Order: sequence, then C-alpha cells, then structure tokens
Amino acid sequence: MLSTFLSHQRKSFWRSRNRGSSIAGQIVLGFFLLYFFVLAIGAGLSMVHILTYFFPKQDVVKSFNGIILYYFAFDFIMRLQFQELPTLSIIPYLHLKISRSKIIRFLNVKALFSAFNLWPFFIFLPFCFIKIAPAFGAVTTVMYIVTIFSIMVFNNYLVLYIKRKSITNTLYTFVGMLLIGAFAALEYYKVISIMAGSDFVFRAIVAQPLYGFAFTLAAVAIFYINSGFLRKNLYVEELSKKQEKKGSTDYAFLNRFGKVGELAALELKLILRHKRPRSAVIMGFFFLLYGFFFYKEEPINKDAFGQMMFAAIFMTGISIIIYGQFMFAWQSAHFDGILANKIDFKDFIKAKFLLFTIGCTIITLLASFYGFKSPKLLLLHLAAYLYNIGFGTVVVLYLATLNYKRLDINKAASFNYQGTGATQWLLMFPYALTPILMYVPFGILNKPYWGLAVVGIFGLMMLLLRGFWVNYIAKRLEKQRYKIAEGFRE
Amino acid sequence: MILEVKKLQKVYGDKTVVNIEDLQIAAGETVGLVGNNGAGKTTFFRMLLDLIRPTTGEVLSKGENVMQNDNWKNYTASFLDEGFLIDYLTPEEYFIFIGSLHNLSVADVSAYLNQYGEFFNGEILNSGKYIRDFSKGNQVKVGIAAALMQKPEILILDEPFANLDPTTQIRLKNLLKEQAGNMTTFISSHDLNHVTDVCSRIVLVEKGQVIKDFKTDENTLKELENYFSA
Repeated sequence: MLSTFLSHQRKSFWRSRNRGSSIAGQIVLGFFLLYFFVLAIGAGLSMVHILTYFFPKQDVVKSFNGIILYYFAFDFIMRLQFQELPTLSIIPYLHLKISRSKIIRFLNVKALFSAFNLWPFFIFLPFCFIKIAPAFGAVTTVMYIVTIFSIMVFNNYLVLYIKRKSITNTLYTFVGMLLIGAFAALEYYKVISIMAGSDFVFRAIVAQPLYGFAFTLAAVAIFYINSGFLRKNLYVEELSKKQEKKGSTDYAFLNRFGKVGELAALELKLILRHKRPRSAVIMGFFFLLYGFFFYKEEPINKDAFGQMMFAAIFMTGISIIIYGQFMFAWQSAHFDGILANKIDFKDFIKAKFLLFTIGCTIITLLASFYGFKSPKLLLLHLAAYLYNIGFGTVVVLYLATLNYKRLDINKAASFNYQGTGATQWLLMFPYALTPILMYVPFGILNKPYWGLAVVGIFGLMMLLLRGFWVNYIAKRLEKQRYKIAEGFRE
Repeated sequence: MILEVKKLQKVYGDKTVVNIEDLQIAAGETVGLVGNNGAGKTTFFRMLLDLIRPTTGEVLSKGENVMQNDNWKNYTASFLDEGFLIDYLTPEEYFIFIGSLHNLSVADVSAYLNQYGEFFNGEILNSGKYIRDFSKGNQVKVGIAAALMQKPEILILDEPFANLDPTTQIRLKNLLKEQAGNMTTFISSHDLNHVTDVCSRIVLVEKGQVIKDFKTDENTLKELENYFSA
C-alpha cells in the first residue's frame, strides 16, 4: 500500500501542472539542484579545512562537535519556516477502504522526503569517516552517525508536530534566528558556550557510545507522539496548519500618495500574503551577504569598482530584480478586475515605481553596513542605488509589458518555474551590463570615481525623467493590455 | 442609447465566437442575456468591458468607444467571475479598495456595507478570512456587493444567480428590481425563471448571434422554454 501511495506522489510531482513545462526550465532546475548538492558535498569533504580556518586554535574534532548542535538549531528554525505539512495529499484516500494506520504511516514516510533530511548526510558524514573513524574507531563512528541521524529525525517530526498542533508564523522564525544570533554573540564574547555544550555531549558519546541512543529514544518518542496525534485527528481540517484570524490592514505611510499609494498598499499586501513573493523578499535579504564574497580587500584597495559593480547592482537592486521579473504576472489572477475597474494606467505604473523605490531604498540602507569594511563601498552603493531606481525600474517594467505568462501565486517559490519565460533570463543582461559598460572606459583610464559618478548621474537623470517613463510604459501597457489579459486568463 | 454594439465580431482561428450586428440598450433597461454554453455570452461581456479586443466592430458606451478611453469606467460596474476579486484581501479591504477608486471614504463604505448585512447573511464581514478562503457563493456575493457599491449607471453581471443559495437569489432579484429604471443592468443567466422575472428585455444568443430580442411579458418564460427544449 505504501508503495502505491508513494507512486501516486511521484506521479503527482512529475505530472503537476505548474512544473516547468519547458525543457530549458528543467535543465536550469537540474543545474541548480546539482549545484547545491555539489556545494553541500564540498562543504562536507572540506570540513576539516573549514573548521581549522574558522577555529584555528582549537582541535578539529572539538570544533566539529561544537557546530553540530548549532547546525540543528538552525535546521529547526528553517524547518519551522519552510518544511511543508504533508497533509493535502491524503484527501483522496480518506474515504476509501484504507485503514487509518496505513494512512498515518504514509504521512510519516512522506514527511521524510524533505531536502532538510539530506543535508546532514552530505555535511557531516564525510567528516565522520575522515576524522572520527581513524581517531576513535568503528563503534564511535557508527554512534556519531546514529546520533546525527536521530537528531535529524527528531527535528523532522518535532517541527511537524508543532506545526500541526499550534500556530506558527514567520515572527517565531525571526525570533528564533535572533536567539541563535544572540547565542553566537555570547559564544563570541565567551559568556556561555553552546559549542562547549555540544562538544560535551559528543565527548560523552565518544566515552560511552551507547549514550548516543538517548537521541534515538527522543526521536522515537516524538515519532510516536506525532503518530498518536495524527491518529486522533485524522481530519484534513485539523491536520493542516491552523488558520490565523485574518485582519484588515492599513498602511498609513502610503496614504499620502493618494490613489498611487492605494495601489502600492494593495501590492504590498499581495507580497506579504502569498508564499511565493514573500519568499522572494526573504531571499532578497539573504543576498545582502553577497558582498562578503565580492568585496575583497584587493579590489577595494585598488578602487577596482568594475569588478564589484555587478555585486553592488545586484544587492541593492535585488528587490527590483527578483520581484520585477514576474511583473504584472503576480496580479494575473485578478488582472481582469484591474482592467475593468476605474484604475488609471499611469497610477498603476506609478505605484510600481513607488514600491520599487521603497524596497530598493530599504535594502540599500541595510547594505550600508559594508561601509565599515570600506567607506568607498558606500559611494559604489549610492551609484548602484541611483542606477537601480532610475533605470533598473524602467527596464523591469518595460519587460513586464512583454510578459504574458500566468503565474499561480499561491504555489511555493522553490522549484516552481511556472511563469518563467525567456524574458526572465534575458532580463539580467541589459540590467547588469549597462552600468558595467558605462563604467569600463573610466576604469581603463584609471578614473574609477569618474566612472561611479557617470553611473550615478545616469541613474539620477533617469529618475528625473520618471514622468516621461511613466507615460511611456503606461502607453505600452495600454497597447498590450488585451494580450497580457488573455495570457493571464489561461 | 447608453450602450450600443455595432458589427461586433470576435473570431478565434476560423471560429466566430461573437457576431452581433447591432444591439442598442437604452438607459434604465434591465436586459437579460440568455443562451447555452458556448453561445459567446462571456466573451461578449468581456468585450463590453474592454477586456478582449474585438476582431471587428465596436462597443459604444454613452457614444464613446470603450477601447478609446476610460470614461466608461466611471459609471460602469461589473462582476464576471472570481478573476475580478482580489482574493488575498479580506472583504473589508476589498470593499475599501474598490470604494477608494470611486472616492468613497472608509466611513462611506462601511455605511454602505451596513445595509447589506442581510444580503451577506452575517458570513462575509468580520469573518477573519481572506476572500480566497470563502465558498464560491460567498465570493460571488462579495463581487456583486462591490459592484453595486459603485452606484453604477451600468451594471454587468455574468451568471449572478449561479452558486448562490435560494434565499440570496431572491434577495438579489429584489435588489435588481429595485434598481430598475435608474440603472442599466445587463445580466446573463441560465436560469430562465429568474431572468424573465428580473429583466424587462431578453436577448437570446446562439453561436455568437442574436437570435431573438424582445420585451418580456407573461408568455416569455413559456416561449423561452419552448425554444430551449426544441
């Protein structure tokens, strides 16, 4: 029976309507997956080097022991936010002649099919074989693996239980992240040390391998608690995440913009109340870390802004790029309503500009912490910011008038390539290349600051011309409206 | 004539979905559009609302082509399907948003909504749900109430009675009858009883063409039933 269930699941995955239908989309998806796997395996294999790099004064095994609990704390928080409850898939079976326990077993097994349950193997197992096995022998190595596996399973079912039992929301995730951050800070200032705690636990396992089964017991316990809960509440209504009471919201700060603000508020709600745009926004914050990879000492000292331009444009403009690439399609479900109602195209376009400007400004302000690294970066960011709000917005909105692909906004973002067309991939070229091409001649002449000034002034000029662009894009939208509306209706 | 349709055609491939030579609707009329599935009713309505580009011909609202400018939006309200609702809003937010497009304040909107307590049957307002979480019937109610709230001169509804419970169907009929004379209403329906009851004029379409166009009287229902059972 279980295998029948699983084969249905496999079919539902491969046959789902919103799976990227184009070959190109699938290939790109495949590459992404491969990339992440390679990354994780790479991290696992080079764990020794990574640990000695970050904790040079410490024994590697001690560092390794230390990060395990941290990893799983982080894992827990991420699961809380991203792991899906495998509930809806059982609806077609509930009324059939299938016993409850079988359905519950199916739910339990299905819950294990999560990327979260894959990472620990890649990240931790290589180290166990490379370092632990030679040092402590086979029994200890096996117990390490058992322990790590048990904590993973424990996390897996605990999160599902919590999600089923109560209301979780993004706020908790945020608080959890803060907590981990706080512990890391305390660790850094040597007030209390989770690492030492984690190390202590695994030392104990080294000393007495059987202690590792304590985690297994915990995992088994939570597994049974979860199953028991399922058995008593096998109603779809009760198993899905509990509904929070939804309230009406008013964004006072947007009211001053009149009708345009009204439309911007509408879109802000769209972003906050749907998984896909919301995760796009969260991604945007993660990209703030991009600078750590691109802003190296050497280019900073040499004023080689050309090398860092891409990172700066990408980082400060992330909200425009990520959200803008599916522009108008976010609203495909009610695009007819927008057209049939008394909404001026110019207001509609102005609202987009307003939203982009706000988003870009917030991200740029947040990114200014790179100023600690070098104040020069602030100049770079300023130029990139002006370019983004001045010209990047125009590029994105222009391309939006060529996008006729419907997007089902309620579906999750990851691995969802619906609504992706050639436009999205082409977007990056004019967007990122324009400022770099503008900068390059000045870079060659060794006048880096002139280059920055040119990019910034170009952005500023486009910003001053915004009235013109609004009219232009509104005209285009007016011309394209039937085509867009037709595409969105499919 | 508040609405005029001239030589309107919509062709998909080699299939003509709508082909209306001439249709005139006077202000204050209540017109029912009747026809089987595939008769082109929804496509026709979409063209009235400038959502689909006609292959040929034009729709004039108060003498102006709806494709040329937006003035018709000031006095036209419509609800064709759920695609008109912004389903991630609460009903209150949606009403306030639609109200704001017509310069109604929040107070105006809530005053308006108060008189609809009965129509909503206490299920819509303060329900703590987004529109997407409502049943189809309740979504239709939200759409219709939002359309009526705009105090339109022209109201266009596509199958408003479908999905509604009997009580609400009757309430909606009464609402529409009250408005007869001061609002031009154009509705489509598969329910011959309701449509003859509400409308003063029936337009019967088949394969995109107007087959019959007549004022309702006591024989209309019989006539329509005969037509459709043949």
